[in-house]
Amino acid sequence: MSALLSMENLTGGYGDADVLEDVSLHVDPDEIVVIVGPNGAGKSTAMKSVFGLLTIRGGRMLFDGEDITTWAPNRIVQRGICYVPQVDNIFREMSIHENLEMGGFLKKGDLSAAYDRVYTLFPDLKERRKTPAGRLSGGQRQMVAMGRALMLDPKLLLLDEPTAGLSPKYMEQIFEICRDVRDTGVAILLVEQHAKQALAFADRGYVLAAGRNRHEGSGADLLADREVAEMFLGG
Amino acid sequence: MDILELVNFYIIPGIVLGSIYALGAVGITLVFAILRYAHLAHGDLATLGAFVALACVTALGISPLLALPMAIVATAAVAVGIDKVFYEHLRNRPKIVTVMASLGVALMIRSVIQVVWGVDTQTYSRGIVRPEDYFGLRIRDREFYTVFAMLLLVGGLQLFLTRTKWGKAMRAMSDNPNLALLSGIDNKKVVMLTWLVAGGLCAAAGYFLGLNTELKSLMGWSMLLPMFAAAILGGVGRVEGAVLGGLVVGIAEELSVLWIPSEYKAAMAFVILLFMLLVRPTGLLKGKVL
Amino acid sequence: MEILGLVNYALYMAIFIAIYALLALGLNIQWGFAGLFNAGIAGFFAVGAYTSAILTSPAADGRIGGFDLHFTIGWIGAMVAAALVAWPIGKICLRFRSDYLAIASIGVAEIIRLVIKSEAELTNGARGISNIPRPAGDFGYMESQIAYLALVLGVLIVVYLLVERQFNAPWGRMMRAIRDNEDAARAMGKNVEFRRLEAFIFGSALMGLGGALFAHFNRSITPEAIDPMVATFLVWIMLILGGSGNNRGAILGAAVVWIIWSVSEIATDQLPHEYAVQAKYIRLFLIGLMLQLVLRFRPEGLLPEPLRGDLNGRGRNTKSGPANQ
Repeated sequence: MSALLSMENLTGGYGDADVLEDVSLHVDPDEIVVIVGPNGAGKSTAMKSVFGLLTIRGGRMLFDGEDITTWAPNRIVQRGICYVPQVDNIFREMSIHENLEMGGFLKKGDLSAAYDRVYTLFPDLKERRKTPAGRLSGGQRQMVAMGRALMLDPKLLLLDEPTAGLSPKYMEQIFEICRDVRDTGVAILLVEQHAKQALAFADRGYVLAAGRNRHEGSGADLLADREVAEMFLGG
Repeated sequence: MDILELVNFYIIPGIVLGSIYALGAVGITLVFAILRYAHLAHGDLATLGAFVALACVTALGISPLLALPMAIVATAAVAVGIDKVFYEHLRNRPKIVTVMASLGVALMIRSVIQVVWGVDTQTYSRGIVRPEDYFGLRIRDREFYTVFAMLLLVGGLQLFLTRTKWGKAMRAMSDNPNLALLSGIDNKKVVMLTWLVAGGLCAAAGYFLGLNTELKSLMGWSMLLPMFAAAILGGVGRVEGAVLGGLVVGIAEELSVLWIPSEYKAAMAFVILLFMLLVRPTGLLKGKVL
Repeated sequence: MEILGLVNYALYMAIFIAIYALLALGLNIQWGFAGLFNAGIAGFFAVGAYTSAILTSPAADGRIGGFDLHFTIGWIGAMVAAALVAWPIGKICLRFRSDYLAIASIGVAEIIRLVIKSEAELTNGARGISNIPRPAGDFGYMESQIAYLALVLGVLIVVYLLVERQFNAPWGRMMRAIRDNEDAARAMGKNVEFRRLEAFIFGSALMGLGGALFAHFNRSITPEAIDPMVATFLVWIMLILGGSGNNRGAILGAAVVWIIWSVSEIATDQLPHEYAVQAKYIRLFLIGLMLQLVLRFRPEGLLPEPLRGDLNGRGRNTKSGPANQ
């Protein structure tokens, strides 16, 4: 089976400074892949690179067999990758329903199937669909943000630290939803600060440090690796 | 002074003036919130709208009320053109550079008006209009038109912003521009729509100021401060706030002559502006602070 | 035109250029260094002009003063008065983005205009204040002009040297750091508001001084002497064309723009009378257009801001996209 997304030897960063050096990773359809690593390791940068949000000086990126390295964000959105930033990921003053509508902005024709799908995944949101998103709790905001990104039926969803600042209860809930999303046929690539919990729930993981690949493997294997364990638990 | 006198001589003129400010302030608040800069040419754009209507009245011999839609359309088009020629290429520079460009545009619009229409005061129609008496309230027809047109135009805009896809896209761009771009909303179209709306409303503001007073080349520039005060008083990005702010500033200006010399009427807007920045920069309805 | 007339005209122009150069230097402190948008230059100019006029003119009936003081006191008074007007405005507006200062400064200029027109006890209303003593005004016409030019140039040179020294001092580096990256400067513990307030007040004081020099040169000041929008705008285009952030650029810009402005006046004076009024506005249009062209094609101005070590590589991201943190 060929990879849905593959990043090959990517080097790049913001402006003149390279944050990523020679990073390679791939995501297969129907899997949840997590990137973990210490602060400043380039985790979020790796994710933004998919979205053409930084200057890339080496390597390339393939999505579904097409080279998307130099594409503009809106073209990538249309191609089937949606991105949920870590902060400012909702329209605060707009209702939940309007947030979803903006998520489906590029979709021609009827949105009702997409609404149904999102509201099935997040039943809480349906009840409060007229509420301005800015009034929701942190966990519910994250749901709105994910729901907005799912409106275009992406093949791949990028989540930047979706559980940052959430209570353990909500963290579990977000992971649970990620699995549900994956089961509807959407691959997920996420960056996580909570390495242990994330590796335990993901299908596969990458450990990034100082802008380079360090380890790769199934979540369970990485958790069992002594070096990885030291990186997060020992130090 | 009895209450009727207060209403007739201060409150009613205040509401009329406030409605005029509101029309301009709505455009200012939209530009401020969506494009994220203070547009200093807004007053002079209103002057242009007023004079375009005058040109329609004199050239086509139509009634002033029919000239309004023409002025709205023409000024909206001019606003879009100004953005394309003078502001668009500055989009990736610091926003304050566009503020500077808009000051230059203000000067350019004004000098075009002075060249074409001269500097003398003009009116849409000659003669003194006496107010009608409604149970003691003395109101002129044109004052009705002004308030009514303001409510109609702003109400229509509110419907557009809350009910249509592109109206929501404008709100989304104001709310969170990065996320709007990530959602695939076309920034260029939103900018164009914003200018169409702001330019059209601006023309209406200038037209009604001309209808209720007279036309002169500095009429719009003198409205700039009250319009900004209204936008900030209401809360930047809040359409209904801009209307509220406009009415408050208009009424405050008219009432101010009860306490301060009438020469300083124009200072009221400035006082309100500074006061709001001091105590509540988000405005009455919790808008943005850039 | 005979030689003497030409020399006289050149002297007259040179004095005006020097006065405008002072205003442009003041604006350079505010905009070039601190990134503050002052759209009320004419207001600070007028405050300076009237303050010095009241302090130095001989006693007159019907208004406060004049106090018949030495012109140096008048000039210092002009700077203090302009600074005092700037202080509260800066205090309120500098917490926000410069857009708010732009609006408020337009308001200040408007209020000052109203005060000058209405407070006849202070400003003698529409008739203005005359009999303002001009230093070295007792000489013959041309000698007096030369002496005044020398005086104004002296002031300009002193101001230039002082400002230039400040720019290269730690103070200047800090101002630029605040302008280029406010958040980083704040994180480094700089008191951003206070530094900005300093820059705004210093710049406004220089504008006040420019106004005083103008009033003493003219020997009188009236509300109509200065068209607020035109004066403010001329100073802006001088700085932007000359090169904001560069003091020599500000002075060069003042010279270039004032020469263009004056020569275009000579040109339009040749037009038949019926076009004369229009011609004035066409000149204004062209000045507005000039700003747009400079912003578009040479935003760094004739003399760009000198690159100092601390600025290298800052703010030059080749590509920046949404959500770029």
